[in-house]
Amino acid sequence: MFVERINMREKPKIAVFKFTGCAGCQLELLRLEDIFLDLLEFFDISYWVMVKRENQEDGPWDISLVEGSISTPEEIKEIKEIRKKSKFLVAFGDCAIGGCIPSIRNWMPQMEAETQVYHDTSAIHSTKVLGIGEYVKIDAILKGCPPHRENILELLKSYLLKTKPRLRKHPVCIECKYRDNACLITSKKIPCMGPVTSAGCGALCPSLNRECEGCFGPMSNPNPEALASIFRDIGLSEEDIIRKFRKYAGTSIEFQREAGLR
Amino acid sequence: MKQSTDFFLLEKNGIDILVKKFLEEHKVFGPIKPGHDSTFDEIKSPKELHLDYISTVLPPKKFFHPPTENLFSFELIENTEWTYKETLHDEKTVLIGVHPCDVHAILRLDRFFSEDFRDPYYLSRRENTIIVALNCIEPSEYCFCESMGTGPFLEMGYDLLLTDIGKKYLLETGTYDGKKLLDGLKLEKADKKDLYEKKKLLEQAKKKFKRHVNTDGLSALLDDDTHDWDIWTKLAENGYPGKSFPCLSCGSCSLVCPTCYCYDVYDVIDLSLKKGVRKRELDSCQLLEYAEVALGGNFRRDRRERIRHWLMCKFGMAAGGDKSGCVGCGRCIRICPSKIDITEVARIIRGE
Repeated sequence: MFVERINMREKPKIAVFKFTGCAGCQLELLRLEDIFLDLLEFFDISYWVMVKRENQEDGPWDISLVEGSISTPEEIKEIKEIRKKSKFLVAFGDCAIGGCIPSIRNWMPQMEAETQVYHDTSAIHSTKVLGIGEYVKIDAILKGCPPHRENILELLKSYLLKTKPRLRKHPVCIECKYRDNACLITSKKIPCMGPVTSAGCGALCPSLNRECEGCFGPMSNPNPEALASIFRDIGLSEEDIIRKFRKYAGTSIEFQREAGLR
Repeated sequence: MKQSTDFFLLEKNGIDILVKKFLEEHKVFGPIKPGHDSTFDEIKSPKELHLDYISTVLPPKKFFHPPTENLFSFELIENTEWTYKETLHDEKTVLIGVHPCDVHAILRLDRFFSEDFRDPYYLSRRENTIIVALNCIEPSEYCFCESMGTGPFLEMGYDLLLTDIGKKYLLETGTYDGKKLLDGLKLEKADKKDLYEKKKLLEQAKKKFKRHVNTDGLSALLDDDTHDWDIWTKLAENGYPGKSFPCLSCGSCSLVCPTCYCYDVYDVIDLSLKKGVRKRELDSCQLLEYAEVALGGNFRRDRRERIRHWLMCKFGMAAGGDKSGCVGCGRCIRICPSKIDITEVARIIRGE
């Protein structure tokens, strides 16, 4: 049986890494505090600078959770190193998947972005902000800004059970209807990103009468072109529509056209 | 069991007395807000009930076949031995204010969940629920039940039936259970004049419909394989300018549909890895993952195929037959962000 199988072997080693991002995904992992000790029954935290003083620097790791996007040559080198030492590499959150909010920078000239922040830009060697999948092979992704704790747990449990994790790719509308919510677009003409955005949040924002911002990125087979024309119909300007699609997943294949890349 | 019908009259505030009586031994659910986007929810006192509602987001389907539910929990005792415990809901319940279209939808779900196989989870809820229906005097702009033969007045499927006949409600009994619920209440008997009033109101209500659909010959038309239907591509990819935007495949139509019963079943294992719950969740044929099989195969990969499937199903042409067919409640028309209108689709297919 699976329990026996798990107890027999050594605990899998987990490593958590951070690149360009806000550390919110790591915080979400830390927010599992009420069940954290239960998790340690099954896993060893081998590398996690945010929470541990002593870290095993040189791997190898069974599961590497990588947060943040890649935005400098040093980071490119580092993620390739991590890949070599990781058996199972997870793009942990939207930044690691496709750049997320930091990738808004990609839509302006590098010089403009740099001079907005730094007086002397001579030491800055930034690249375009991209997900880790641009440079290394990814074994799993956890969508969200940040990912929902249930999805994090689902992935970790399925690793132990050797099953396929049930990470839904359908739109937020599904979870929104589960909660008996009226549609914000049709009942209030609020420009909600729900119909193109991956579920997993439990329709958090629409249930509070706030439009979905799209923070879980594109759903499977979305129709962003149709949603853009609906936004136009309810009075959004072209600039507003572009901003909506750029915000969390502008670099994704699904949204890049509506985000302004023609 | 069908019983001889009793006819009573109820003052407008008599509803309060009725609800109080129901609350003595039942959980009571009904619409809790006025307007289009009302919700069926628990009624703890008569003043929470809004019989002036137009429609709800989720149909009463949610009480018998909830969006998500636990079917049973299981636990590993020894390495190969399991126990499990089913989650059956058998609380005595009254559902008040159900419109005729929704009652017809429940009758279809009854058949789906009891004919080919008996679904204990659905049936334990259903068999313990009494339906107090409410005839529709004012159909909304989205309604077309009259075209589907499911309204605006009800002839079957209710335990008790209310009709607003102006100053008072006409209360009819439909079943023995319904009759028993009125035991101990002193009710005024209705006379022929009141029944005539109801009939008059029915004729008036029928004339108030703004949406109509003619489904005659639709299945024969669509069965004709020699015809190249570009309507599905248009609905999915182009939209009909001035009428609808392309389909988003958001699945809202099927989730708010009172006859869509498709569901998904999966296990959630506890962190102990020794126990878990088997869950059931409403699914939608509009989702890419719905027709996905092992190794990434998919029977309906294109959006076009998915919107076609749903509409054909509502026209009674999928495996569910009329068990999943349309009852004309209009919810999918109101909820669709792309403004896709099933009555318009039928018109286009019929070449009207």
